Amino acid sequence: MKAYKKEVQFTIWMTLAFIVVGNVGFIFSIFPTDAMLFGFPVMYIVPILMGWFGVFFLTLIAGKIGNKIDDEIDLENDSLGETDEVGRVE
Amino acid sequence: MDGQNWQLSNPILGLVVIALTFLLFYIVGYISNRKSVSAKELYVGGANVGAITNGLAMAATYMSLATFLGITALILQLQVPFIMLWIQLILAIPLITIIYGTSLRRMGAFSPTHFIRDRYGVAASIIAALFMILVSIMYALGQMIGIAITFETLLGIPYVTGLIVFGLIIVGYITIGGMAGATNNAAIQMIIIALMFILPLAAIMKAIGAEGWYFPPLLYSDMVPAMLESLPTFFDYQFSPKWYFSIIPALTIGALGLPHLAMRVYTASSLKSARSAMTWFAFILGLVFSATYAMGFVGVYATATQGVTISSGDADKLTIILNLVYNPEWVTALVIAGAISAGLSTLSGNLLAIGALISQDIIATLKPDISQKLSLRIGFIAIFMGGLASILLALEPPAFLVVSILWAFGLAGVTNAPLIIVGVWWKEANKYGAMAASVVGGIVYIIVSPFVFPSIVLTGHAVTDGMGLSGAMLAVPISFILLIVVSYVTNRIPGLAGNLTKQSDIELIERIHGWKDIKPYRYNSTLGAGITVLVSLAIAIWALMPWGI
Repeated sequence: MKAYKKEVQFTIWMTLAFIVVGNVGFIFSIFPTDAMLFGFPVMYIVPILMGWFGVFFLTLIAGKIGNKIDDEIDLENDSLGETDEVGRVE
Repeated sequence: MDGQNWQLSNPILGLVVIALTFLLFYIVGYISNRKSVSAKELYVGGANVGAITNGLAMAATYMSLATFLGITALILQLQVPFIMLWIQLILAIPLITIIYGTSLRRMGAFSPTHFIRDRYGVAASIIAALFMILVSIMYALGQMIGIAITFETLLGIPYVTGLIVFGLIIVGYITIGGMAGATNNAAIQMIIIALMFILPLAAIMKAIGAEGWYFPPLLYSDMVPAMLESLPTFFDYQFSPKWYFSIIPALTIGALGLPHLAMRVYTASSLKSARSAMTWFAFILGLVFSATYAMGFVGVYATATQGVTISSGDADKLTIILNLVYNPEWVTALVIAGAISAGLSTLSGNLLAIGALISQDIIATLKPDISQKLSLRIGFIAIFMGGLASILLALEPPAFLVVSILWAFGLAGVTNAPLIIVGVWWKEANKYGAMAASVVGGIVYIIVSPFVFPSIVLTGHAVTDGMGLSGAMLAVPISFILLIVVSYVTNRIPGLAGNLTKQSDIELIERIHGWKDIKPYRYNSTLGAGITVLVSLAIAIWALMPWGI
């Protein structure tokens, strides 16, 4: 149960995080700002930076957690009793 | 400079550079040729490609000729909104990997349709495969247009002649020789694309007087004040939040249904390697994407402040024109080689997908007992025919080449992405829901596109409708709703139970998530499905309300 819940929650939250980080322009279209950063308008450079480094950073996290969840699923598989392995429990 | 003929004064130089590039690809193909004796070797490279090679190959497959030609043209036309639209395309491989890529890799699928066949049965998989072939051909069409434009610029020969002659040479090359080393070649092509785009851009920026020329993707803020002075509207968002939101169903979800991208995840040697490939993908794609925005910015800057005039018909050639204006000819020749590499890697991905779809997902599904040899031969023929079809379609191209590619994203998002996403995560999804979603969603998307019935569109704003933004915002949620509701209802009609393969569906889903046992509570949330339906309904209704563009 634990690894399953983790897998589902990880996928939902990670998907939302990726969509938000890749679509910062949508957020600025709702909350516009005139601020400047590094000589560019914030509404221009922040979506570009997030769309590169933000996404890159999330892939690192997603890779790490994804690998960990795989290991946990394997662990739960290993702890299965002989009786219900590849069973057809409905 | 209006009406100027933008081409190399020494076309031989360009031809030599392109010939050398092709020679390199051929040698790489020859060296890494392991002789494609099985379908697995042919389509997923034996599923043992390392992370860096795969990450680079993913990026090259994704980064089409549009990077060199189309995007900068649309930045010239739409300015910052188009950059905002393009940024999220980087999500494709990461989202494919976490949502369903690793599951399908575990299953050993060749293509997304392979999963749809095992999950929803033959009829649904053939419908999906037909739509995917249309998607791949539309995508290949964009590359063909780009290649013809590039050769037009290079040699000054008419568009149609260039299209037919070089289109056939390239399709023949991919069909005969480019197959074996496709992945290694794609990785090399990625490096060529990055170098041939970014280094010449640095030289252009230096010529214009930009201080940050040594790192073009991000260091051009010193040009911002002059830009704002001559073109104060450049950074304006122009459109409402609704327009920016529509990018998510059309392109973010759309990319999840692109067959040639998902196939790259299956080539990974392991799940861990697939996950590190997505990191490499994000890094290299972010670099080149950022450089593309810089190129678009410099293009607009050059036309607004430097007296460079680019007619609307030449907009697609912006990158090449900037090189012709500011760099020596040999640099432009290298850029053109980079552009051809970009087109080639994407085209080979598209055509490979068409080959897999026709030979594996349609013919081998209908006639499972044909020989390995015949199946391969059909694959090669399909690859060639797909290329031919895209050449013929490119004879009368849409105004901007990126439009056809982005419209294809939406079609993939409507007809395929919901089937795969819901199919992997919800046991109740069945073939009736899948067929209803794919057919009805696909038809709605095609009807509201400006290409079939120009009077039936959602916004009347040519680029928004043409790129499929408005159509996908309506059709993608419809597709999700139909898949979930029809599956839920038909699962409860006792007369249909005999036609459904519930037990094997359940086993398949547990297995591709890595489980060795079966538990009823897993991947079976009615609440989750209900929330998806409600959210989809709200988005579809929003899409039908006035857009105000």
